[in-house]
Amino acid sequence: MKYEFRFPDIGEGIHEGVIMKWFVKPGDEIKEGDSLAEVETDKVTTEIPSPRTGKVLELMAKNGDKINVGQVFITIDTSDGAEAEVTKEVVEEETAGVVGEVIASSEVIPPSTEVIVQSAKSETTKVLATPVARKLAKDLGVDINNVIGTGPNNRVMKEDIYKFKDELETKAIQQHKVVQDKVSSTNLPVNEPITVSDDRIERIPITRIRKTISDRMTQSRFTIPHTTAMDEIDISKLVEFRKKYKDILREEDINLTYLPFIIKAVIVALKKFPEFNASFDMEKEELIFKYFYHIGIATDTERGLMVPVIRDADKMSILELSKAIQDVSIRAKENRIDLGELKGGSFTITNYGSIGGYFGIPIINYPESAILGLGRIVRKPIVVDDEIDIADILPVSLSYDHRIIDGASGARFINVLKDLLSDPDMLFLRA
Amino acid sequence: MTNTLNIVQAINQALMNEMELDNTVVVYGEDVGVEGGVFRATVDLQKKFGVKRVFDSPLAESAIVGTAVGMAINGLKPVVEMQFSGFSYPGFNQIISHVARMRNRSRGKYTLPMVIRSPYGGGIRALEHHSESTEAIFAQIPGLKVVIPSTPYDAKGLLIAAMRDPDPVLFWEPKRIYRAFKQEIPEGAYEIPIGKAKIIEEGTDITIVTWGAMVKDVQKAAEMVKVKGIKPEIIDLRTIAPMDRDSFVESVKKTGRILVVHEAPKTLGVGAEIISIVNEKAFLYLEAPPTRLTGFDTTFPLPRGERHYIPSPERIAKTIEDVVRY
Repeated sequence: MKYEFRFPDIGEGIHEGVIMKWFVKPGDEIKEGDSLAEVETDKVTTEIPSPRTGKVLELMAKNGDKINVGQVFITIDTSDGAEAEVTKEVVEEETAGVVGEVIASSEVIPPSTEVIVQSAKSETTKVLATPVARKLAKDLGVDINNVIGTGPNNRVMKEDIYKFKDELETKAIQQHKVVQDKVSSTNLPVNEPITVSDDRIERIPITRIRKTISDRMTQSRFTIPHTTAMDEIDISKLVEFRKKYKDILREEDINLTYLPFIIKAVIVALKKFPEFNASFDMEKEELIFKYFYHIGIATDTERGLMVPVIRDADKMSILELSKAIQDVSIRAKENRIDLGELKGGSFTITNYGSIGGYFGIPIINYPESAILGLGRIVRKPIVVDDEIDIADILPVSLSYDHRIIDGASGARFINVLKDLLSDPDMLFLRA
Repeated sequence: MTNTLNIVQAINQALMNEMELDNTVVVYGEDVGVEGGVFRATVDLQKKFGVKRVFDSPLAESAIVGTAVGMAINGLKPVVEMQFSGFSYPGFNQIISHVARMRNRSRGKYTLPMVIRSPYGGGIRALEHHSESTEAIFAQIPGLKVVIPSTPYDAKGLLIAAMRDPDPVLFWEPKRIYRAFKQEIPEGAYEIPIGKAKIIEEGTDITIVTWGAMVKDVQKAAEMVKVKGIKPEIIDLRTIAPMDRDSFVESVKKTGRILVVHEAPKTLGVGAEIISIVNEKAFLYLEAPPTRLTGFDTTFPLPRGERHYIPSPERIAKTIEDVVRY
């Protein structure tokens, strides 16, 4: 790109100069700022620096020549740089100024959008706060836009930010009180709640029951170090036994399920291993052993999971247990259960197998120390004396409080269940 | 009817229009007559209006301004040219002692309806005394209006308003963009009120106040930061004195941040004044320190240094990011 450098005005009112000496010749590579020539005017003798980087194409005057301001003085090839862009815009400069280099371009900018000028007043919704208050909010991790100001014109004061922060913390403490009290080292990750507005999202306030379930589950999960032992129990004989009597009992309106047998077996195990029928008082550093057997039955209802309690289950016969279970589960589903019936359990059984699950990791019904999960009974091939047999298998998952119950106890507890449930005769002897 | 002109042509047309409409308008200064001004802002005026209304003056800025005071008192509207704003210093005494004070000194009996035009600012590889940005010096003097256009449309409308103003107006023309672009403007005379800024781009994250040749560079910088999700609001101040305070105060209340970009040196500059006003009027809305990006506190450099002196779009973009991410 050819660039024409016009002789600039080098001093006030100067219209011409004499070239005393060229420092460059055609073909020379020059850099912006390199001296091109020495020029003498009425007032000064000065060196003219190059306005561009490139290659000298042509000197438009010789040593000793007079040159007028505005006249082309040297041409430079600037093709290898961004300068080319500028050069191509130099057009119609017959009437351009003679001092310096006024960049000329025929670029047309959009017409003005305004005839009558107004400075727009902005509707502002920003909270008012001093910069120091804003900094405080930032340092404390408080979004100042959420703070209600109590200062003049609702200005957010430093005190408001501290108060807001305190309230946030209190709320957090309430939500995770147990966690913070007892497990100070636990750093719980928190999912950011969705705050954006989106048609595909519906926000529904949770019910009180869901809130209770949520609180209790969180409390249990993050207070008790859970561990879960799992096993499969061959209950083929029990299945046969039940088959034999269930139709007879149906005539008495008794729905004979496996649960009463399991409760009986569990109570035997609880008596043998009382730490499973206990709770842990961390504050007092005491274990609380309970010598009653109030068995909670986790029940799926429309409003959510409820755990009605069968009191003194150890004092009931299988049939009494059957009736009691039937009774509370129906009333729970129909929302006719008393609050008192949901309290005071010592051990809980959850039967997700009735819906289809196999193994699970049940969450302990706080403050109890263990929970038994029952899976779906399936017929499976098993090996008996090196022979393949078919058996009815009950999968069990026993979650327990690992602070007070060791793994070996967990396994032994399940072994008791296995012994009793795989052999109904033994169950009747011991229960 | 419209025509597409650059700034220097728009100024020429404003003079033409107003001289046709008002035969008390007189134009003179160094080289404005025969040559049409060193940047050709007054070209053809002498041919059209004759040597009595358009004429060359001696190299005597003090005399140019002083004569204008006498003319204005006696019913003419002189529009004089300081060849460069850096040459206005010999006329400084006249400007301060007489031009700025006449209305006050005469208790309102006399006003001075006159305009002092001058190319100002750097960026054209000119010589010493040719590149100064002197707006702050004059803006501090009570009684002077200081106007700086940034587009051909504004240049014409503001210059006509200046010529019609009953008080003296210093009309500082950003010579770097004299011919840098064109714009469609009405052929006839029109006014843009003096003392009103213009929001040339609406945004939410930062208010940028600028004027003159820097407007273009700020717009380029704004394009650079927009791809990063920052939406600047750009205000072209257009009149340095009296300053349209509401324009940027209201904007800062919306954005919480302000950056002033000017070519003049930083210390005691117009940016400092704007930021003081923001601190007084919008302190409670601030989310970041009000910031200036300006020329340096040095004499304007000769050609090799000037590109380092004038805030570049890249520096502006970086400063915008710094302020927004503060």
